[in-house]
Amino acid sequence: MDNVAQQLFNAGNLRANAAYAASKRNITIDPITRLEGHGKIDIYLDDKGDVERAYLQVPELRGFEVFCRGRPAEDMPQITSRICGVCPTAHHMASTKALDALYQIEPTSPGRKIRELVYHTFMLEDHALHVFILGGPDFIVGPEAPPAERNILGVIGKVGIEAGKKVIATRRRLRELIAYFGGKVVHPVLGLPGGVSKPLSAADLPKFRELAKDGVEFAQWTLDVFRTIVLKNPDYVKMITSDAYTHRTCYMGMVDEQNQVNFYDGRLRVVDCDGREVCEFTAAEYRDYIAEHVEPWSYMKFTYLKQRGWNGFVEGPETSIYSVAPLARLNAADGMATPLAQAAYEEFFKVLGGKPVHHTLANHWARVIEMIYAAERIEQLVNDPEITSPEVRRIPTAVPKVGIGVVEAPRGTLFHHYETDERGVIKMANMIVATGNNAGRIAMSVERAAKGMIKGGHVTEGLLNKVEMAFRAYDPCLGCATHTLPGHLPLNVGIYDRDHRLIRQLVQE
Amino acid sequence: MNRLSPPTTVLVLGLGNDILTDDAVGLLVAREVRARLGSKSGIEVRETTEMGLTLLDEIVDYDCLVLVDAVQTGQAPPGHVHEIGPDELPQVTATSPHFLGVGETLALGTSLGLVMPRLVRIFAIEVEDPFTLGTSPTPAVAQAVPVTVERVVAQALEWAKAED
Repeated sequence: MDNVAQQLFNAGNLRANAAYAASKRNITIDPITRLEGHGKIDIYLDDKGDVERAYLQVPELRGFEVFCRGRPAEDMPQITSRICGVCPTAHHMASTKALDALYQIEPTSPGRKIRELVYHTFMLEDHALHVFILGGPDFIVGPEAPPAERNILGVIGKVGIEAGKKVIATRRRLRELIAYFGGKVVHPVLGLPGGVSKPLSAADLPKFRELAKDGVEFAQWTLDVFRTIVLKNPDYVKMITSDAYTHRTCYMGMVDEQNQVNFYDGRLRVVDCDGREVCEFTAAEYRDYIAEHVEPWSYMKFTYLKQRGWNGFVEGPETSIYSVAPLARLNAADGMATPLAQAAYEEFFKVLGGKPVHHTLANHWARVIEMIYAAERIEQLVNDPEITSPEVRRIPTAVPKVGIGVVEAPRGTLFHHYETDERGVIKMANMIVATGNNAGRIAMSVERAAKGMIKGGHVTEGLLNKVEMAFRAYDPCLGCATHTLPGHLPLNVGIYDRDHRLIRQLVQE
Repeated sequence: MNRLSPPTTVLVLGLGNDILTDDAVGLLVAREVRARLGSKSGIEVRETTEMGLTLLDEIVDYDCLVLVDAVQTGQAPPGHVHEIGPDELPQVTATSPHFLGVGETLALGTSLGLVMPRLVRIFAIEVEDPFTLGTSPTPAVAQAVPVTVERVVAQALEWAKAED
């Protein structure tokens, strides 16, 4: 973003904050909500008073590149993992992989396996948190349940106290595994160019094998909970498959040599709305395949498929908008690399009518399938004879220049791109985060919800709720920018007339 | 969790992000409080940069909790210290289904049969810039640190004494 745009953005942000604060009669301060991060939706009307366009504004982190410039590249895995309290391990790993590329070095085989072990543990833990805590209120309690029940206590009420304890305890054990290697989860000190900092001691292996076994069981139990509560309820299924939450876009996800889903490494594969492969590329080639489009009415950047060109917010065969995250990964791949996850994958596409699935809300189900895959992969890794090898690092010797790393974060593809001088001092740093990759499709969902609720300048009651549901399905993580709890998004909707004058503002805490 | 022995009863917990300018203020206060209280028995001082459910892991099994955090309400000047007692703590909220705050974390822990703090007090410092990457707080927020430290120390000592 250039300076002028940045200043405009900052000024707009300040105004939005001020308007939001001023509209609050009673302040409730909850520190865990932290800073007043809020979802800001802009809706533009045409001269008939109908919705012309609408989008969710994703606030941008300020000063990232300036902060990084002049620092040693080796600091980047720590710095980037500290930016976001939501997915530190994803940033840490993308950054570590960018350092491998920067120093042109491959990690040793045991070093790579330890990275994968930690990464899959993180994916399992984060997905579980989402299924039960963040998405749970919508799906386990139910989208149509009274608001007073749509919270974590409602989830516990529905799955039972024992199950609730199981979720909390499993999550804690998974986090202990991450901490074993990296120390604090938020400041992991695991990844180094060419490997990792710590091997796995054979003496500690039995407890991780136990955890892996329990992890597989936990993930399968989660699928059972999902089947019982969600899939057996015709109203839920009707809602998942309804037009309101369906968009025919492209999908991107990382795959291995067999085109199976891979979170840690591989090629990025994109399929179109009919499931045909559009392109496949490596992290280093990302700029040849992904471009950013800026609309004149916004300072948001929307990523799109470069080779197709920007075709606007359209669906179908012409679209150059792609989506990321669990559903996109399943759509972009040909299958899962582990048996239980593969069975769940087949069931998913069978029930939902074949590939690709275009229903945004199916992300919740896809997430559970990915939990099974992550757990099975952890089990494979802790039973791999190499996992306790002390050969966890190769020392880099090449002169650094450019490093691009990519991982599949829980919320989708995450790119880190660094350029340095010959001493490895950062000259340029850029990230494309998952929510950025999804911005185009999120805008389409918000616009559809808004169109259904605003006609001829008349705003129907319940607009806020509908638009919130439309973007919440993507689990947009604004944590990188606003440092607010994911999912808790006080809404601020601005409605503008044809001359782009603000005519109405709606606020929901 | 790492626990002191004998079991401590009062937890002072600083929250924030140490590279987001003013957002670090809760961590800065906690560090000062630790320096002031040393290894006083009955009080443990910790910092965390994590969010959300982690709070549950941090506060379980303590009798009393003093939280220090950054906040931006836009209704007080930067550096203002909001003090929030248990009565003002938002409980389980109806309007935000995904919300997991202090009140909700306490309710969740209790419903799962975990031991949650009986007494909770929150010191939230109004901040100016929590969005720019940086490691130095703005002047008004930096000035609020010693004041907040005094109040946090006094609260922790009062509760530690009462628990004797």
